[in-house]
Amino acid sequence: MKKLFTVRKILSFFLAVSLIFTAYSAYYKIKFWGFDIKPNKITEVWTIDAHISFKALGKDVNVSLATPSVSKEFKVLNEDIIAKNYTFSKDEKTGRIKFQSSKRKGRQNIYYRLTVYDNEDTRGKVRGKEPEMPEPPLFDEQQLQMAEEILQSASVFEGSLPQKLILLFNQSPLDETVEAFLPVKASLHERANIIIDLLSLQKIPARLVRGVKLVEGKKASNADLMLEAYEGNRWRLYDLQTAKDGLPKNFILFQRGGVSLLDVEGGERSTIKFSVLKSVTSSFEMAEHRAEMSSTAKLYNFSIYRLPLLEQNILKWLMVFPLGILVVVFMRNVVGVPTMGTFTPMLIAMSFVQTGLSAGLVCFSIILFIGIALRSLLSKLNLLLVPRISSVVIFVILIIQTMTVIGYHFELEISSAAVFFPIIITAWIIERLSIIWEEEGAKNAVKEMFWTTVTALATYFVIASETIRHFMFAFNEVNLVILFVVMLLGTYTGYRLTELKRFYPLVKEK
Amino acid sequence: MFHPLKIAKKLKACGILGMNARNYSVISALNKRSLYPLFDDKVQTKELAVKAGINTTKKIGLIEYQHQVKNFRNMVQGFSEFVIKPAHGSGGKGVLVIKKWDDNCFTTASEKHLTYTEVYQHISNILSGLYSLGGQYDVALIEEMVHFSNAFERFSYQGVPDVRLIVYKGYPAMAMMRLATSESGGRANLHQGAVGVGLDVKTGSTLCAVQHNKPIEFHPDTKADLKTLKVPFWKEHLLIASKAYEMTGLGYLGADIVLDKDKGPMMLELNARPGLAIQIANASGLKKAIKNIDKNYPKNLSAEERVDFILSKT
Repeated sequence: MKKLFTVRKILSFFLAVSLIFTAYSAYYKIKFWGFDIKPNKITEVWTIDAHISFKALGKDVNVSLATPSVSKEFKVLNEDIIAKNYTFSKDEKTGRIKFQSSKRKGRQNIYYRLTVYDNEDTRGKVRGKEPEMPEPPLFDEQQLQMAEEILQSASVFEGSLPQKLILLFNQSPLDETVEAFLPVKASLHERANIIIDLLSLQKIPARLVRGVKLVEGKKASNADLMLEAYEGNRWRLYDLQTAKDGLPKNFILFQRGGVSLLDVEGGERSTIKFSVLKSVTSSFEMAEHRAEMSSTAKLYNFSIYRLPLLEQNILKWLMVFPLGILVVVFMRNVVGVPTMGTFTPMLIAMSFVQTGLSAGLVCFSIILFIGIALRSLLSKLNLLLVPRISSVVIFVILIIQTMTVIGYHFELEISSAAVFFPIIITAWIIERLSIIWEEEGAKNAVKEMFWTTVTALATYFVIASETIRHFMFAFNEVNLVILFVVMLLGTYTGYRLTELKRFYPLVKEK
Repeated sequence: MFHPLKIAKKLKACGILGMNARNYSVISALNKRSLYPLFDDKVQTKELAVKAGINTTKKIGLIEYQHQVKNFRNMVQGFSEFVIKPAHGSGGKGVLVIKKWDDNCFTTASEKHLTYTEVYQHISNILSGLYSLGGQYDVALIEEMVHFSNAFERFSYQGVPDVRLIVYKGYPAMAMMRLATSESGGRANLHQGAVGVGLDVKTGSTLCAVQHNKPIEFHPDTKADLKTLKVPFWKEHLLIASKAYEMTGLGYLGADIVLDKDKGPMMLELNARPGLAIQIANASGLKKAIKNIDKNYPKNLSAEERVDFILSKT
């Protein structure tokens, strides 16, 4: 009894270790590789093309472009640069790309392509260094007075001060004071700058943020602007039109603060236009990109997800089996139902996955029915075991062939499903069924077949579920846990469910 | 209402041994795997039994290869009745009892007439492994038929009433007699409707009887009062069971014993994985009996001493 305790203890220990390992590994895969628990979660991938265009003046050209810095706000999948005759380098610290070229003349085109995906987890959690107190703007007396008025009238709006101001500036028709304060036909940029000035009067540091609003099919547009103000020890982003705070969905920051988005030395009339293209991909396919970006590429390269697709598909199919095995073990040792052969139910379930449940069930019943009928003729022929079972195998092949042909000809899906059933296993089921039938009567044969089918169905529902299959493939270390659960079930000495019924008469009277 | 947990608790309190506990805590703990072949093979079991001085049915012959099948007739020449069984069979599968035979046909115990071809076919099936565990090639054992004592005639419908004793560490722990009924088709399998009679290990008389898990008092076919059943030569039964422990080295085994009217109790078969139905027939748990033996019974006794110990217990 003492020994038994130790075996269980060791197995429980390994189970605990495998659980911890699995939990960590799953966490790791979700966090760094971006795996999802559910299958085929769609992630939006955005391709942003920045087209820089300027006229070179025949001098050395130096172009500096702000790019989204590597941060957790969003994930950059890929960067691509087309800049003919230019040398370029990226300053990882500032995130600016410098393009250099010796004397050039005429229109210059530089393309920068960025592929990013929506990293929803970190949206709106922008943190930054604490900025210095802003210098008050150089307003004259009159301007100062108007500013006071504006701030006054802004106070009727809800929200923080930047929000109030933005709302005031977007009022339609505009507040008179505001209109007077603004230059004629003020651009969004100019308005934003005035808001920043007004904020600095209130000792609130604020800055412009340039980025690209990801709208599908956006073509050749200027960079989008947002306002960022420092309040409560953190930078908050505000939409310049709606005053909504936080990084909006589909907004990629390129540059913030005083530094410019694009600097061109040795050129004039420079423009930068952004085009946006949206594509959709399953998050699973993105894992590779993500792993590459993080420091885990090596580990990823060694994982099953780097195998050719064919192997991956086979493994995906294999990875779900331990769970099916667990079902069989559970049905036999905990529930306690008799099944034909240990893993026959699982093999039948595998066929059901390929045929579809109802077609599989009907088709399998037909094969068994015809098979048993033929087998009963066979028992009259006095054949030896091996030739007899071999004949049954050939019967099964012929039945399957006939059914498939009929199914094809008359477009009966149920009939053509026959081709997916494992021949040898089916033959053995027929053989065993007829022997039980002969020796222990039809009742026992039906009973055993019934429980085999029930177990097969239970297994089917486990292995046919796309969610479970994906889960077992994405987090294949779960199979380790299953291994130890199965081993622990090997030490289970409690009653089986069917035994409760069997032995019930013993305790009924008491 | 079916309350699984409540029932499980009650069963545990009664000391009922479940299949998992039997396999894990008892069989795999006490029965060395390497010993199994010795008596999964009835030929070897028989030889061992003879050596150990256990009364058993006599071997008439052995058919090991297909080409020997045609010698079958010569082999059984001089025996008016015999039994053909697979050496590796289990649960009575593939056992053919021939009561009578002549130049034309064989008559089985259940009055079925079989042609020569059919009997040869049966032997061929045995050889090809149809009835053996795992389907490997087997040999056909032909042995003398037991002349059943008529002590149980009133209690059985056709078939062979036999005593099953569960032997734990050499001590007979529980006993049962299985009585065939018309429903069980003359077979002694409880799940097919045979009557199970729990026997007092000390005296060999009826404790209680069940059919289909329900207590009964009279045999459904012969109407005999099952309470009046008492197995004669009970001590000899116990001795066979007890000796089987030394003979096999198995800590947990089932001994099937039949009563021959001339030769007394004879060991029919030993089983390393005896079933649990005996608990139903006894309306009592095996685990309880096993615990009692572990706790209160002396160790290192000889087979005879163990039987004496049981008989002397009050």
